[in-house]
Order: sequence, then structure tokens, then C-alpha cells
Amino acid sequence: MSNNARALLIVGHGSTVNPDSSAPTLAHAAEIRRRKVFADVECAFWKEEPSLRDAIFLFDPEAAREVYVVPNFISEGYFTQTVIPRELELNGRSTKRPNGQVWKYCEPVGNHPLVTELLLQRAREIAPGVPETETSLLIVAHGTDLNENSAAAAKREAEKIRALGKYADVLNVYMEEAPLVAGWRKLTKSPNVVVVPFFISDGLHSYEDIPVLLGIAKEKSTSNCISAGGEIFQRNPYKIDNRSLFYAPSIGTDPRFADIIVAQVNLFDDAFSGIILAQTENFDSKS
Amino acid sequence: MPDLIERSLETALTNCCRVGEISIRRIDGGGFIVSHCDDRGRDDLQRFQNPEEAAEIARYDDAGNYRPLKTVPNLCHGWRLELVDLTKLRRALDYFYPGRLAMFAAWKENRLTTTPLRKTLTRQSGMYRVASKISDEQINDLVGNFCRSNGGCLRTILWKRDESAAVPSTKLPSDKFDASHGQALSPRSATPATTAPVIPLLCQEACSLLVAECRKVVKMTNDE
Repeated sequence: MSNNARALLIVGHGSTVNPDSSAPTLAHAAEIRRRKVFADVECAFWKEEPSLRDAIFLFDPEAAREVYVVPNFISEGYFTQTVIPRELELNGRSTKRPNGQVWKYCEPVGNHPLVTELLLQRAREIAPGVPETETSLLIVAHGTDLNENSAAAAKREAEKIRALGKYADVLNVYMEEAPLVAGWRKLTKSPNVVVVPFFISDGLHSYEDIPVLLGIAKEKSTSNCISAGGEIFQRNPYKIDNRSLFYAPSIGTDPRFADIIVAQVNLFDDAFSGIILAQTENFDSKS
Repeated sequence: MPDLIERSLETALTNCCRVGEISIRRIDGGGFIVSHCDDRGRDDLQRFQNPEEAAEIARYDDAGNYRPLKTVPNLCHGWRLELVDLTKLRRALDYFYPGRLAMFAAWKENRLTTTPLRKTLTRQSGMYRVASKISDEQINDLVGNFCRSNGGCLRTILWKRDESAAVPSTKLPSDKFDASHGQALSPRSATPATTAPVIPLLCQEACSLLVAECRKVVKMTNDE
């Protein structure tokens, strides 16, 4: 099937309070649209518009015969396993609509092996010229997320990077469970520390909560911290106790996440195309 | 070749020059100028050319507050977006009113199906499961206030309250439920003015914000 008949739906969580929540998803969609590898590229959100329910009607059934759904989520969990399939009326990896349009449900972006490479790139870019052997890399996740596996995904990434033996140390830290991000001074021994939030977008956690826990920002400022939040990433390195701390934006804001979204589509095709073709033919012969 | 949504927009533009709070003007030699409908005639507007900039314009209201629901009539003023073709116009309108042009195109093709509010609420899980306990009377009050065109939301409601096909609120005027009527506000006025042809912002199912409001109502009732 030609690319002209393939469409892409990127699903994000969105937010009714954080204006930056959907920004990376919209930016990735615009970038992929610019590449013209899909007939259409759209976004849908749980908490913003278009809604997941709107998404069912977003694609022209004549022009888009296949719709690839890629959750822009950092891990599998309640949303990817329950909410998105329910709201999009998906009944498995592949769903054939009454109009013949086939919807293909891909893995969330956070599951792709390229995320590890991106974490490494981001860590290098935020601390240019700083020797990795004299640097501890801290990957921050929320922790205690109900039904979410983001902590497990962050742990997996840390293990993979640790196995490379490049950094003095690679640690998982959490906002709400041990080991706590606030304990970074005791947890690390190296002269340099690079901190990368393992989130899909920036917001209150990366702009304010984590900086406060790290000791690089004061408690709850009275100003509009969300709109001014990006400044926190512009002041690297932070000199604390004769050590240099480098603080990166959330990993999901990296423009190269657009590559990962496309890669998840390719991975789906590699993994399922033969199986789904057989299922579809079987379905057609019965109908 | 223009896609279905662009073709549907092109057809609609033959007699409409409004969508929500946005005024659309064709310019000689092709292209379009869009601005807030209140701002027509102003010559001090900040000029933009990239449809992607519509996302930024649409994100905050005049006071700088975030706009989670883009069909709330609080679009900011003071800008003018110049777009060279229909494709860019469609993309910009998709940022101003995400998904609404696609719903309009689907409706024109008789593909748009609606979901009653009770069905939406019954489907919820997790923290929103409780929302289904809202009473019909509470729905009547909530939708009458939350979805009203004047200060609430400019969408035209196509969904019913339940399988009985009752409208969700008797407090809203009948044209709020009529797909052939776009909801628009006259310039600098709080009065709905639906006489001028506008492209309707169709609502085929309750949004997540209304579901969250239903939950709040139930929670407040339980706390009393």
C-alpha cells in the first residue's frame, strides 16, 4: 500500500491546566506532516481537543485506508491499555471499521529502543564537553503512578545505559518514592551530575517541582511559573557544593521524538503485517 | 488534490465567512486573511503568516490564561493571520478549533454519529466512573450553564441526554441543537447572533471537560 493511503494519529494525554502538555505532540505531528510520509497526520488527546472520540471521524475513509495510532506516552499503562482502546473503539492490534478503514495500534513511544539513544544524546548535549566518566546521570520519574509503568520504564532505560559503562553512575530517582531526587547529593559522588526528567512533556513537575527538590529553585514562586518555566533549563550548570549540576527539559520534548513515532509505525509493520494480513483475509472470507 | 476536509471547507466558504469567533476573508490573487471577528477594521494587528502560529494564538486568552477548550468564546484579540492557500487555512483553523472541520466534513457526508451523554458517562472508568450518577435535573442545569454559547462554548450540540432522545438541557435555545446553525457572537456583544452564515462547530459527543464537570456535580452532591 502506498504512503498516500496511510494516515497517522498521535495520541497525547493533554491537560486542562498545563498549556505545555500538548505542545510536544503538536510539534512532532507538524514535523512528520512536513516530511509527507503519511497522507494525513493528526493528533488526539484525552484532556484536550481533538478528543479521542473526535479521532474516529478525523480521517477521510476514502483517502486513508490505514490509520496508525501511536500513543505519545512514556510507558504502557492505564491509558494505553484501557482508555485509548476504549475511546477509539479498538479491539486489538488491528481493527477494521465498517467503512473498511483499518486502524493499527502501535506501541507507545516510550517502549522504543531509540529512547535510550535519545537519553544519551540529550545528556551529552545538556553538558557539552563534560567527561561522562566524571558524571552521574539521573533519570527522574514520578513514582507511585497508579496503574502506570513509567517508573519501570525509567528503570529499564537506566539499566541499559548503565550497561554501556560510559557514565560514572546511572541512577533512577523519583519524586515521590525512594530513592528521592532530593537526595542527589548523597546518592552521587561524581563532580558532575546530569538530570533528565523521564516525562513526555514539560509542566509543573519539570518546571518547578523537580528544580525545588534539586535545590536549584525556590519553593512555589508566586509568578506564573509555567509560562516562565523554560528559563530553568537556560542556567546550566548550577554550581552546588563545588559540583556542577546540569538540568535538562523532559525527554519527550526532544524534536527527535518525531523519529521515534515514525519508528513505532515501522516496528508495527515489521512485527504484525504478515499476521494482520492473514487475519484480515480470514475476516473478509467469513464476511 | 485537496482532501475531503479542504473540499468541504472550500464549499462552505462560498457563503460563510465565519467560524466560531474567527472571520475569514479571501484576498485578491488567492489566499486568506483570518482574524478575530471583533478585530475587523483594525489596522494595528500583529501579523502572522505561518499556520502553526495559530496554535500559539489559540493557547491563551486576552488575560494570558490557558484555554483548554478552544471553543470557549474567549479567543484573544490583536492578531491577523495571512495564509496563502486553502491547505494552510485548513491547518490554521484546525489549531483554532481542533477537529471541528473534520466533524463538519463527516456531518456533510452523513458519516458523523452521535453519542448520548448517558452512554459517554457509563463508559467512563477510574476516577470518572462516578460521573454517571448525575441526575437528569443536574444535567439540565449543568449543560445549560457549561455549554451555553454566551460565555460557555460555541459548539452546536448534536448529542442527546440519553436513548430517549431528550435534549440535554431545556435551558438552551433550540438552535443550540440545530446543526444548520453555527453559534456565533456578534462583535463586542454577549448576544448570540446566528443570522449570518457561519461554519458550525459540531459537537457529536460530550467533551472530557463536561464529563469532569459531571463528576464534580456528583461529588458535591455526595459531600452535602
